[in-house]
Amino acid sequence: MDPFSTLGISPKFDIDLAAAERAHRELSRALHPDRYMAASASERRAALARAIEVNEAWRVVRDPIRRAEALLTLLGVSVDDASTRGELPAEFLGQMLELREALAEARASRNLGVVRSMAVDVEARARSSEQELASGFANGQAAHLLGALAELRFYGRFLDEVGAIEDDLVT
Amino acid sequence: MTLFEIFDPKAAPRPIGIDLGTTNSLVAYVSNERPVAVADCDQQVLVPSVVTYLPSGDVVVGRRAAGLAAEYPRDTIASAKRFMGRGADDEETARLGPYEFVSPEAGGENVIRFRVAGGRVVTPVEVSAEILRTLKAQAEDELRHVGGAVITVPAYFDDAQRQATKDAARLAGLEVLRLLNEPTAAALAYGLEKNRSGTFAVYDLGGGTFDVTVLVLDSGVFQVRSTGGDSQLGGDDMDRAIAEEILRALGFDRARQTPLLVRMVLDEARKAKHALTEAESVEAEVSGQAPVVITRARFDELIQPLLNRTGVACRRALRDAGLAPGKIDGVILVGGATRVPAVRRYVAEVFQKEPLADIDPDQVVALGAAVQADLLAGEGRSDDVLLLDVIPLSLGIEVGGGVVDRILPRNSTIPSAARSTYTTQEDRQTGFQIHVLQGEREMVADNRSLAHFTLHGIPPMPAGMARLEVTFRVDADGLLHVHAKELTTGIEQTVSVKPSYGLDDASVERMLVDALDHGENDLGKRQMAEACVEARRILRATAKALAGDSDLLEEGERARIERACEQLEKTTNGNSAAAIRSQIEALDNATKAFAGRRMNRAIALAIEGTRVEVVEERVKHAKGAAEAGPELARSVD
Repeated sequence: MDPFSTLGISPKFDIDLAAAERAHRELSRALHPDRYMAASASERRAALARAIEVNEAWRVVRDPIRRAEALLTLLGVSVDDASTRGELPAEFLGQMLELREALAEARASRNLGVVRSMAVDVEARARSSEQELASGFANGQAAHLLGALAELRFYGRFLDEVGAIEDDLVT
Repeated sequence: MTLFEIFDPKAAPRPIGIDLGTTNSLVAYVSNERPVAVADCDQQVLVPSVVTYLPSGDVVVGRRAAGLAAEYPRDTIASAKRFMGRGADDEETARLGPYEFVSPEAGGENVIRFRVAGGRVVTPVEVSAEILRTLKAQAEDELRHVGGAVITVPAYFDDAQRQATKDAARLAGLEVLRLLNEPTAAALAYGLEKNRSGTFAVYDLGGGTFDVTVLVLDSGVFQVRSTGGDSQLGGDDMDRAIAEEILRALGFDRARQTPLLVRMVLDEARKAKHALTEAESVEAEVSGQAPVVITRARFDELIQPLLNRTGVACRRALRDAGLAPGKIDGVILVGGATRVPAVRRYVAEVFQKEPLADIDPDQVVALGAAVQADLLAGEGRSDDVLLLDVIPLSLGIEVGGGVVDRILPRNSTIPSAARSTYTTQEDRQTGFQIHVLQGEREMVADNRSLAHFTLHGIPPMPAGMARLEVTFRVDADGLLHVHAKELTTGIEQTVSVKPSYGLDDASVERMLVDALDHGENDLGKRQMAEACVEARRILRATAKALAGDSDLLEEGERARIERACEQLEKTTNGNSAAAIRSQIEALDNATKAFAGRRMNRAIALAIEGTRVEVVEERVKHAKGAAEAGPELARSVD
């Protein structure tokens, strides 16, 4: 599936999210099951299948990681975990290991302040990976972007973990 | 001149909206394009969600049941919603309360069961069905003929809790048009009322559940951006905090807490909570004991941990929506517990905005549900309002090492589907164990188990050769359907998903038959009537499609479709529901290709529409008028 063509927008990393959201909204207006409550079963099914496709496209396009994966897949580059992991320099992996350890420590000592400030730092790193991806895709150097994608995935998982820790520490 | 309403036996059934709450429930409908709540003969709109099972076998619901709680503390089930879709060993059963629980039989369904008067055993689903039946009857008194219902659920309800709610509706003889998330319903009530647009947060602190939802309202579309919450946190917990304080002050330890005492103290605690909305301090008096003074400051202190929990969910929802707190245009308050001054202060602080409460927070959800019911049941009416909701929790399956592989992330717009492919770990493995989970954590043990099933009959292959594709589909009610297929052999089995917590279909059927035995309906008649309604609906829809898009028909297609219509029409005059069903299917086959072409046209038109909008937007930009553009772009990130 090409999520960009499903939404009728051009395939690039640096997309106009407001326009994509609008496209998703208008397509939903045409296809959402609520619109077909009084329709025949075949029409309801057809609309449902399309509505699901449109929602899947929006899910991919709105998320930088999935968006990058979709673009690389369209370019014929494999994006599974195994092929991207190899692109990460040992130095980065070392840094991440340290970050993870520091996070575990902050959790153990129930230091919410430290957890939150680490999250801010990692969010900033994620933004810069996203910028790298945006310029890389724009310059047609997609094949060299697997590293940035792998980094972004790391940051994403890290921030998920932060969310879980916040839950634990407050309740 | 007075106009009398004349009862018309053929009056069209009216759709209703139901807020099935933890503490109170109510039903509403749309009259002259405005939602109104249905009042009982005492002009009361709220029905306490309380059911008493009397030793005589009689079942009492609502205000009278609440009045019986002191006399029958164990047989009076309040807050059944907190127990919906939960396992018998759930921690909810260990909390302060007067109930007696039945331990599950080995190998039986893992659901909570209450033991009530006369040794009778009831499930939370049956208790909720009693409440729904009462609401339905109340609506029938006013409307004569009640049609389908939209029933609201907390946005944060998981799959088992949603399924349990649907089961309860089925038991109560209600046709569920849709399960609707409570905050979205509230937003719908506000959005239409005020004709607003912008980004809103809904802070919904009910009796037993807490939800926060961030949504964007634009051109009539309510798009939920994110949702979060806690399905076991609510006003009841405030009552419990006060009750524990009273019990402490009076020196009652756990061993001396009888069901009656706990019931009385909880009631007293609730009264104290209500009084503290106005008063600076109250005296809580439990009969025969010295009064206990509770100041508002002490109350605020007691509930601070609860508020902090809501704060975490609010910040998460904002982050998931890609918004800073100051970027919210309005905060909507829902649920009686939001009357507590400390809650309002806290909400204002978290969102940096004074919350809105101009619609009664106890009614707003039901009013919104009524609006949605009217939109869904009204054929071809109001094309300009649409709700786009999301799943509250990520869905995934267990993979090696007790780790969860997330298939559908939280906040995915529904209806939704996603698939993922797995392989075997061992040589000659002929079956796949599939464990479905819901939650955000990495490890299986930290998430909620939804279902287990096994795909059998895979031919023996070396490890890593088989390719298992698991597809998750979430429908517009937020309910999950799982499908598994082995790709190398093409073996595609129908897999039955046995819910980890909840009643299986056979149990619900049995309860349904039991309910019917106790009077009211004839199952066969009901099925026939339902099939006829369905057939007429489809015939109308088909006629409309043929008229509207006749240019999309291929040679001979119209004749084929019209023939199928005639045959279906004929079966509705007969007396076999099965015959109607099979003709519906025949018509369905005849219209399949035509439906596909109509869908393509709808999509082309929608995309065309956005292009026009984009151009307009650009023109506005050029004039320097559209300030919201770039802001919105960043916020989705």
